[in-house]
Amino acid sequence: MAKEEEKRKIRYAMLVDLRRCVGCQSCSVACKSENEVPLSKFRTWVKIIEKGRYPDVSRQFLPALCNNCENPICNRNCPVHATYIRPDGIVMVNMHRCIGCMYCMASCPYDVRYVNPLRKIVQKCFWCAHRVDAGLLPACVETCLGRALIFGDINDPNSEISQVLATNAVVRLKPELGTDPHVFYIAADADAMDPTKGIDIDKIRFMEPY
Amino acid sequence: MDVGSQVTVLYNSPHQIPLGLLIAQYFYLTGLSAGSFVISVVAILGRKVEYKPLGKIGAILAPLCLILAPMNLLSDMAQPLRFWHLMTYLPGYINFKSPITYGVILLTAYPISATIYAYFVLTGNMKWSKVFAIIGIPLAISVHGYTGFILALGKGRALWNTALMPTLFIVSAMVSGIAMMILIAIVRNMFFMKDKTVEEREKDRQLILGLGKFLGGAIIADLFLLFNDILVLLTSSKEAWETAHLLLWGKFAFEFIGVELFFGSIIPLFLVFYPKTAKTFKWLSIASVLVMIGIYAMRFTVVVGGQSVPLH
Repeated sequence: MAKEEEKRKIRYAMLVDLRRCVGCQSCSVACKSENEVPLSKFRTWVKIIEKGRYPDVSRQFLPALCNNCENPICNRNCPVHATYIRPDGIVMVNMHRCIGCMYCMASCPYDVRYVNPLRKIVQKCFWCAHRVDAGLLPACVETCLGRALIFGDINDPNSEISQVLATNAVVRLKPELGTDPHVFYIAADADAMDPTKGIDIDKIRFMEPY
Repeated sequence: MDVGSQVTVLYNSPHQIPLGLLIAQYFYLTGLSAGSFVISVVAILGRKVEYKPLGKIGAILAPLCLILAPMNLLSDMAQPLRFWHLMTYLPGYINFKSPITYGVILLTAYPISATIYAYFVLTGNMKWSKVFAIIGIPLAISVHGYTGFILALGKGRALWNTALMPTLFIVSAMVSGIAMMILIAIVRNMFFMKDKTVEEREKDRQLILGLGKFLGGAIIADLFLLFNDILVLLTSSKEAWETAHLLLWGKFAFEFIGVELFFGSIIPLFLVFYPKTAKTFKWLSIASVLVMIGIYAMRFTVVVGGQSVPLH
């Protein structure tokens, strides 16, 4: 895994600085508008939790998006190579190749993929690769009003993300699964990162895939 | 005071269950096919002549179930007309690491070999049916074992991601396969053997009651594997504990404890081994029906219950 990463000239990554996040959901809106994400589906969203008892309370945010893992289980399990990894590390879905078997969705440990109900294929966040190729930033990064999202090349030591990563304590979601996710969080809340906290697991409602 | 109880989720995106009942049904049908094929081969390769009718029943049921099974897969796909993408066997087009690719190869090879086997068994060509029995056994085992790998390699889900899954699936396939064989054999004995002598029918009866003992053994093996699985779930990661909670006293407790364990395993086990009930067709067929319903509930709890723990 690590060797693969060193071989890449460019390895994009996303850093979420939660000290600057205000939970405004403008990243979700920008993503929906940029990528034409259908109703009730999200490529990125901000999970919001409330914790504590008055007067010791706080509201915590966790922007969730595809981690574009270095060792993605969705890529390993896709039978038709519809999911592939670009040389710069972005995990993409080939919409002409996808058969919609939804096995990638079932095996993704972050549940960030969805079936587009109109196109009937699986889609997910790919860090706006079309914008990145044109020299722009992903739509969510561009729109983030607190500048909580930092996107860049972690193999370039002079990039902003490398410098922030080098000088801050960062965490990742579910690193124990060995997928090597590339979305880093500064000051993420443990309760917000725990999917089973704050809900009644017997009563949550699940959505049909499409 | 538990800190966790003070957390409220205000906003989150919807949780999804990608693989639904159709996939569970597909696993169930391949299990029936693999189980009945293995019993048929055991009957054909065995020395005793009286087992041969069982071989014929299994030889018919195996390809029949496997023709129905992939239809569930096709109708579950979002793009069914792109099924041929799975069959372009070229590097770069097909991912040979994916369990679904193993499945495509096995689901092509196994029904063909099972149909040829059925042809030779029904025409009475013992030599060639033995050859195809030997070819078919590894195919039948792996056509169901790979479905276990499909779940075992979905590493986000605590219930699936265990090395026990393929073995558990093969054993439960044997359980449901034997139960279906018993039912069909009972129907054959009661309605389609009117022209045979009383001795022949009695011999066939003893054979079916013997199959009931096999069923009991397979249920014990299945229960042992389930016990191991649940015990490890209860002591493993947090997601695993939540899954165990769902199965044991949560949302899926009725399907798991009630239908799968109590009605699908414990009661049939009793009916099969208790001397008074083990000798009558009535109780044996009730036990078989219960087992088949129980294994269906098992597929459902594994596939849908495994995905019912939120991931974000």
